[in-house]
Amino acid sequence: MPKCTINGVELEVKDGTTIIQAMYDNHQKIAHYCWHPGLSIAGVCRLCMVEIEGNPRLQIACNTVVTEGMKINNTSLKVQEAVKWGLDFHLINHPLDCPICDQAGECGLQDQYMDFGQYTSEMAEPKQKKRKVVDLGPTIVLDSERCILCSRCVRFTDEVSKTNELGIFNRGDHAEIGTHDGKKLDNNYSLNTVDICPVGALTSKDFRFKQRAWYLKDSETICNGCSTGCNVKVYFNKEGLFRVKPTYNPEVNGYWMCDEGRNVYKFANKEYRQSQTLQLSQGVWKQLENPGKAAKDLADVLSKVNSSELALVMTGQQTNEEYQSILNVFVNNFKNKNVYHWNSHAATADQFDGLLIRGDKNPNTKGLQNALSSFGIATKWSDLENGIKQNTIKTLIVVGPENVGVYNDLQEKFEQFSNVKNLIVLTTSNVVKFEGFKNLSLATIIPMKTFVEKTGSFTNYAGKVQKFKRATTIMSTALTLDEFASLISGQDLQINPVPIQDLFVADNTPVDQVRLDHRKKNEFLFTKG
Amino acid sequence: MSDTPTVLEQKPASSQWYLIGITKGLVITFSHLIKNIFNKKQMMTINYPEEKYDYSSRFKGNHILTVKKDGAIRCTACMLCATNCPAECIKITASEHPNPEVEKYPISYEIDMLRCVFCGYCEEACPVDAIRLGPEWQTPGLNGADFTYDIKHLAYRANLKGGVQSVVDDKERLKAGI
Repeated sequence: MPKCTINGVELEVKDGTTIIQAMYDNHQKIAHYCWHPGLSIAGVCRLCMVEIEGNPRLQIACNTVVTEGMKINNTSLKVQEAVKWGLDFHLINHPLDCPICDQAGECGLQDQYMDFGQYTSEMAEPKQKKRKVVDLGPTIVLDSERCILCSRCVRFTDEVSKTNELGIFNRGDHAEIGTHDGKKLDNNYSLNTVDICPVGALTSKDFRFKQRAWYLKDSETICNGCSTGCNVKVYFNKEGLFRVKPTYNPEVNGYWMCDEGRNVYKFANKEYRQSQTLQLSQGVWKQLENPGKAAKDLADVLSKVNSSELALVMTGQQTNEEYQSILNVFVNNFKNKNVYHWNSHAATADQFDGLLIRGDKNPNTKGLQNALSSFGIATKWSDLENGIKQNTIKTLIVVGPENVGVYNDLQEKFEQFSNVKNLIVLTTSNVVKFEGFKNLSLATIIPMKTFVEKTGSFTNYAGKVQKFKRATTIMSTALTLDEFASLISGQDLQINPVPIQDLFVADNTPVDQVRLDHRKKNEFLFTKG
Repeated sequence: MSDTPTVLEQKPASSQWYLIGITKGLVITFSHLIKNIFNKKQMMTINYPEEKYDYSSRFKGNHILTVKKDGAIRCTACMLCATNCPAECIKITASEHPNPEVEKYPISYEIDMLRCVFCGYCEEACPVDAIRLGPEWQTPGLNGADFTYDIKHLAYRANLKGGVQSVVDDKERLKAGI
């Protein structure tokens, strides 16, 4: 455990820690591009210069290990000058097309320039032109001109995804990243290269030109794409959710997430959401006023239903808290244990690609299993199928999946459910076409909230319980399963729908933080100084 | 009390007399009347709408979107104008341009003229001289007229005669290696 002094602060670090890691862990500011805590050390950007006492030359912090009694300093004039003119070299051939660059606003170059650069370029020669808008693969577009050759993406494909698609070609100022002839950058983790790219050289096709970075607000949540439960940030504004990025959690996902998980924001957006409360009776679909009222009316219906004729179907996509409340109502109020676990991924549940992606595409299968066993419920799916066939189950409540994209059997399963006398569907999505079901006689469809609109916890494949907070509200009138459970048990519930102007406003925003609408009005410039 | 300094005009007691005040007023009115009859040129008012006032070239009126040499729209859809707009009246939808040198361009650019306060911040924010506030200001519409101007109107309306050319040229910029 060597002791060192960094910028006058005495630190004790683990053996083998590099200076930059020590500074990063202790929130000290240091310029860097090529170093990334999740990747190997390259030492190509030469920006993380530090002065070490007793050493005549400046050293790079990323490749220098802390030794006993080291006195390190990166605020001296010598270091500042080195960083400043190192940055000038990086920007020699950089096109400075920030206005059309997607990275603008969250760009490493912009940040470093404001923090450490602030020079006037000394270059008289014209800039080297390179390829623009290069299609690297199904998810990524490359702009060679903007690239500063930090090699983070190359190291990522070498070390993390282990697919080795990317490389640096040519030399000198002709050097650029690219893929080998005919090969595409096509792997399940390709979009991580966009995240780690410190400039706008790699851009995501999905997000390209959709929004400027400064229009987006972010909020942390848990990815519900599979049972790994990666920690992610969702980015949104009043027009909807736009992208998902990973956040660091050493116990779950490290710094990365998969490309599949980046699509989870799509089903939470308005166009795929069930917005209306619908009721089918005597062959006519009728729109009900609000879901809360519909659920309250169901309380009367359900209290009259014979317990053996009532069943509940659930998927592993709701939170632990919701399972507790709905099972509590079912077991204690209705004296009913006909609860079935709809698991489309049971066969592939154990698949694992070695990094993050798991075959079980439900974030909370474990949580549902735990909840069911804690209430002493052990049912078989075949019992439900037989029950529907033999008409012993007459009222069926289905809590549909949120991430409908991963349920291939959605339509056929719902067709099967439609054979019961009274079908109650709690769904977030408008994907299932109920109009096509001939046997459907009495049905209620209640819109529900997705994981970004709820506070709760998921239990991942390893049994790790991860709490998450509500990120924002998209469908203000939709119910959570908690609310639904209280309403069908006959309780009165005061639900205050979120006013329209507060939709898509981050819920975990501290009060003193500048809100998006202020940002748009330019006021944030003044508060930031 | 009277010694306290005040910004208010201390009116003499005589000003409270009706006849004195109105006579003074009438003198001013009639002196202008006579002046205007004999010397029309120095008259302060004009006969709008037959006569129109020429504003300076710096007047901030309706927006113009400039065009490139080939007549295509200059705007790169960077959204800096929309970000800077205090009235939030600019709405841009960006898209990918088939030409990689252009890369990004607006497929729709709308300004809600009824919200616009003509502050000129959009013009200031624009990095490529794509938006200017032009000299036009008399653009009335009938009841129910659409005051949300789109690209067709902003860049190619008839009185611009094919569009105003931007001073920032991509080709020259690329040639110079900037």
